[in-house]
Amino acid sequence: MMRFLLLFSRQGKLRLQKWFLPMTEREKKKIIRDMTTMVLARKPRTCNFLHWRDLKIVYKRYASLYFCCGLEDQDNELLALEVLHRYVELLDKYFGSVCELDIIFNFEKAYFILDEFLMGGEIQETSKQSIAKSIEASDMLQETMEEYMSKPAF
Amino acid sequence: MSPSVCLQEMIRVIRGARTQGEERGVIQRECAAIRAQFRQADSGGRSHNLAKLLYVHMLGYPAHFGQMECVRLIASSKYSEKRIGYLGAMMLLDEKQDASLLITNSIKNDLSHSSQHVQSLALCTLACMGSAEMCRDLAPEIERLLKASNSYIKKKAALCAVHIVRKIPELGEMFTPSSFLIVLNSDTLYLHYLSHSVPELVQIMKNLVTSGYSPEHNVAGISDPFLQVRILRLLRILGRNNDAASDAMNDLLAQVATNTDSSKTAGSAVLYETVLTIMDIRSESGLRVLAVNILGRFLLNNDRNIRYISMTSLQKIVQTDHTAVQRHRGTIVDCLKDQDASVKRRALELSLALVSAANIRSMMKELLLFLSTCPPELRSHAASGIFNAAERYAPSQRWHIDTILHVLVTAGGDVRDETVPNLIQLITAASELHCYTVHKLYRALISDIVQQSLVQVACWCIGEYGDLLLKGECEEITPMQVTEDDVLDALETVLQSHMSTPTSRGFALTAIMKLSTRITNNVDRIRSVVSIYGSCIDVELQQRAVEYNALFKKYDHMRYFTMSYCTVILEFGCRSRLSLYFNIHDLLLMHILDNLLLFSYSQ
Repeated sequence: MMRFLLLFSRQGKLRLQKWFLPMTEREKKKIIRDMTTMVLARKPRTCNFLHWRDLKIVYKRYASLYFCCGLEDQDNELLALEVLHRYVELLDKYFGSVCELDIIFNFEKAYFILDEFLMGGEIQETSKQSIAKSIEASDMLQETMEEYMSKPAF
Repeated sequence: MSPSVCLQEMIRVIRGARTQGEERGVIQRECAAIRAQFRQADSGGRSHNLAKLLYVHMLGYPAHFGQMECVRLIASSKYSEKRIGYLGAMMLLDEKQDASLLITNSIKNDLSHSSQHVQSLALCTLACMGSAEMCRDLAPEIERLLKASNSYIKKKAALCAVHIVRKIPELGEMFTPSSFLIVLNSDTLYLHYLSHSVPELVQIMKNLVTSGYSPEHNVAGISDPFLQVRILRLLRILGRNNDAASDAMNDLLAQVATNTDSSKTAGSAVLYETVLTIMDIRSESGLRVLAVNILGRFLLNNDRNIRYISMTSLQKIVQTDHTAVQRHRGTIVDCLKDQDASVKRRALELSLALVSAANIRSMMKELLLFLSTCPPELRSHAASGIFNAAERYAPSQRWHIDTILHVLVTAGGDVRDETVPNLIQLITAASELHCYTVHKLYRALISDIVQQSLVQVACWCIGEYGDLLLKGECEEITPMQVTEDDVLDALETVLQSHMSTPTSRGFALTAIMKLSTRITNNVDRIRSVVSIYGSCIDVELQQRAVEYNALFKKYDHMRYFTMSYCTVILEFGCRSRLSLYFNIHDLLLMHILDNLLLFSYSQ
């Protein structure tokens, strides 16, 4: 299973954090610090896999954001790259040509989409359309118009 | 700032802050406003306020005062408030907080809500942060939902069940094994229930692999690689230590291995998982060879990620399938020259594991080449690996000594401490090579005295076999005329150089002293050097020099004996037996012998 998923910018600012295993605040902060230092120190054309403690770390850079996840020993790293890519595709479809600012200003929506795709560290749904449909339906349920701010029309 | 300002406005203001202090100020003001709002129980902008708080939390600021608000929002009837409330619960609450127990009841109610989206919120939160007590309380609800007809809820309930089972393994029996989804995710629980379902899994997999194009599940031409990998992983668990199950999946694995297109990452991911599965179950040898060949093909792939994982996998199987991996030795050795440091590291580990008596000469050439160009963090690992390999498979003593010398010249600073005494022992044992060794070491010493381990071994050797050096004739190496002055010059350079460590100086001084019994013309020069160092600042060196001085002055008759070949001491093994044999009670002599032993065998 995936232990955590982090998104951070090239300056090391955290944009999203999802923890699939309970951890104390101190441990979380340490992991965030270690991940940002390690990943940001990597040179451009090196491989996307790292080793950290007993976990395999898979990271991929999309424009100005680094997507970084921690896997257990038995997990498939190449598939994790595909998982990260799929998440980016989902974000892209929802926001329409997603960029870092979208994720900063609409972070709660990024979390909602992630919660439809991954749960408990495992993949929930492999069909892009199903996920898009459920997000759309959930958004419709939100009563007040204020919540529709800057969300593109479907 | 007005408390009803929306989330986006607040984010804009925070990002506009030019210094850390300014940002802190803005956030403190906002948090104060939010706290005031929470106390008021104002029903208007509650979800906004919590969202703002969650943003602030992500920046790293404390947000624990929002926990109770999360509990309140979850219990609200509005979906938008529930949604933010649950998100807040996942971010702010964890099992160690007391507030997490308070949401158990809300979750329970929401699990039976009429809207599936509310149910899914509750399931997701439980799967993310459910503590053991919460799981125990809510397990019956989850079991009920597993049997629901709605597949959307069923899938979420299954993943929630996985979380529960991970938290409380005893509840495993509660969730009936009829649902494939659970087993796809949990690891060892349902083995004996499901071994009969291997054929069904095989069938599903076959359909996936041979089915037509399904656009929503397709990734780069592979139909639903996520599901394929999952099924393969499950087959791996089922086939482990189970011959019948392994047989049933043999054909499928061969089919997937040969038919999957690996030009994109998705296909490679599926192939990789297939290889892992083949290696883990009781597969027949033909299948294993196929798997190793796939890994070998990966090694030639342009994508360095694929090269990296193929080497990681080969490392795992190199002990069990040694001959199969040996076939790809050439490619692995080529990867030593890769640009990427991680790939280099893996290639080094694998190459060291593949060294054998048959390929030692060619492998060592490559490894020594690697040592001269490798990144500094890998040098000491490479050096010790080379030493181990040389020790185990050296085809001849001369080759062994040459190899160690080469390593000392290239990476002498990164070798471990016991290399020096080990090498000395090796040289002593190779008695017919003393002449060759001392000549080689002398040449290395006069060209460069930076590498301390090399300097130490060279000094010891020259001190010990100086007479062979001075004789000048040696069959295996081009002859070189060496005079006594040259040798003493070299040793004195070591003594005086600021690059020499105290240990190296000690070796050099002892070597000079030993030469006093092996040379004829320059004993006076040696005597003067030794007496100069009698007033050296370094205490160790001074002590040695004083003792050697004493040997010259008072115990000259002992000098020849104590400074003669070390092999005498080796043969007799220890100081006490020696004293017995020669009936020596001289304390000073004991002290000198101690020093000799110390130099020759280090700690």
